[in-house]
Amino acid sequence: MTRRIPPGLIWVAPALSVLAALSIYPLLYLMKVSLTDAHGFTIAHYARLFQDRLFSVAAGQTLLYAAVALTLEFFLGLTLALLVDSLARGRALIRVGLLAPMLLPPVVAAVIWRLIYNPEFGVLNGMLRQLGVNTTSLTWTSGRTSAMLSVILVDVWQWTPFMFLLLTAGLQAIPAEPLEAARVDGAGYWQTLRDVILPLLKPVILLALLLRSMDLLRIFDQIFLLTQGGPGSATETVSLYIYRTAFRFSNFGYAAAMSFVGLLITMLAARGLLRLTVAVPAEPPCVSMRTDVIKLS
Amino acid sequence: MKTSLKYTAAFLALAAALAPIYWLVTISLKREIDQFASPPLWFSFTPTLRHYSAIFSHDAFGRYFLNSVIVSTCSTLIALALGLPAAYGLVRFPWPHDWARGIGFWILSNRMLPPIVTIIPLFLMLRELRLLNSLSGLVLVDVALNLPFVVWMMRGFIEDLPKEIEEAALLDGESRIGVLLRIVLPLVRPGLAATAVFCLIVAWNEFLFALILSQTESAMTVPVGIASHVTQYEIQWGAMSAAGVVAMLPVLIFAAAAQRYFVRGLSLGALKG
Repeated sequence: MTRRIPPGLIWVAPALSVLAALSIYPLLYLMKVSLTDAHGFTIAHYARLFQDRLFSVAAGQTLLYAAVALTLEFFLGLTLALLVDSLARGRALIRVGLLAPMLLPPVVAAVIWRLIYNPEFGVLNGMLRQLGVNTTSLTWTSGRTSAMLSVILVDVWQWTPFMFLLLTAGLQAIPAEPLEAARVDGAGYWQTLRDVILPLLKPVILLALLLRSMDLLRIFDQIFLLTQGGPGSATETVSLYIYRTAFRFSNFGYAAAMSFVGLLITMLAARGLLRLTVAVPAEPPCVSMRTDVIKLS
Repeated sequence: MKTSLKYTAAFLALAAALAPIYWLVTISLKREIDQFASPPLWFSFTPTLRHYSAIFSHDAFGRYFLNSVIVSTCSTLIALALGLPAAYGLVRFPWPHDWARGIGFWILSNRMLPPIVTIIPLFLMLRELRLLNSLSGLVLVDVALNLPFVVWMMRGFIEDLPKEIEEAALLDGESRIGVLLRIVLPLVRPGLAATAVFCLIVAWNEFLFALILSQTESAMTVPVGIASHVTQYEIQWGAMSAAGVVAMLPVLIFAAAAQRYFVRGLSLGALKG
């Protein structure tokens, strides 16, 4: 190895310094904030975490939200990807339509679902009334038990398309030969799915689950805009709780400590999921999925 | 499965995906009396453009719109200007061991940081620099959001180019910068355009950073502006949905322009903050 400075460094240096200034430095700063209070060094913020019931409630609800949404989005996305892939005509058009929700700004999705969920004038209760359902108790986002379900439903609506997109790309990348071989061997649809398609799809499935769970664990926008974490703390999540602690109550030290613990949990979760990928390729699979850019048109 | 059954299922899914968006559009075009009609009016109502003219004439919406345009354009341009040379440097120069991979991964790992984690120190830092409620602060954090993405996208596109043309030009006495500007840039233009579109969408949709960094009316972007009205005037459905339609139109147009690159872009989390 030469001791010279690599010649490419000067090309990379501007980007690296901007990123360092906007990520490494802030993280160190955050650590400092989490370890100080008005009197200097302290670990009180971290100690408080273990006694804070609201934090554990928020953490539990974040996990619940992520687990339920991930499961629903995965199975729906996979079903839809397989279904649309098997259609003879109109695939391109159906795919474009199915992807639309994912593109919307989260704030627009929230506006839409407010119009839908409004107990009195919303279209959901309006349609249910048309079907003769008594809707007086159906309060959706403002009900203590229904609020969580309602925000999960919005997530499923907006982000199942993401699963659908990745899995469709994965399906299109499966070579024809093994499918042909299965057919020649007389394998039925379910057998082909279980023994040929799903194993070949595994890397894409794991990637999709990884990316989605990272996003789900940091969920903020939709919940903030639909319920603000309420009613009570029925839809409180870790991101919302950190936001409130820092920017409503100006308790930056405690918010910083929570951020660090949250970051740790997210990273461990990501690691665990990455481990599952047998023989992780040198690059994340998303970047090597060069050839299977989805054909929409 | 029977073909007709399959198509029925596919169209049901399509309806579930699109009906909510369609409903938003109809509400934005309905008079108040039709908005609250029971049973809901899906098709037969008298359309009006009054809510659209209202948001652009009365509210600060024009201001939000302009802010969003400025922030997403500037942050995209800066991210491209920093990211393209970085990608080129990583691909085309000799690096000891696997430095190139290490640096690439470190850059990508920045994208994985939850925004709520980075925003707290950034807020405190920008407060000290007196850059709160200014567009430049927001541009800065959006650059940080998009830069890793630009490097990774462009890396892939540059790797796809044949090395030989560049090497020939270097032998002819062209400088490295000349090669980048005159040979690489024209060749990667489609990829660069797609990357730019994704960056624009990310910055346009971005909510959390904008919510925290711009709290005055004059610095708000469209998402934050809408959000502040959602909570204030719950009952102004017309204005709210007209604003929503205006906010989503640019994204749908941009997305149509970049649809070929959906997978590569979106799997890197292009649309998430």
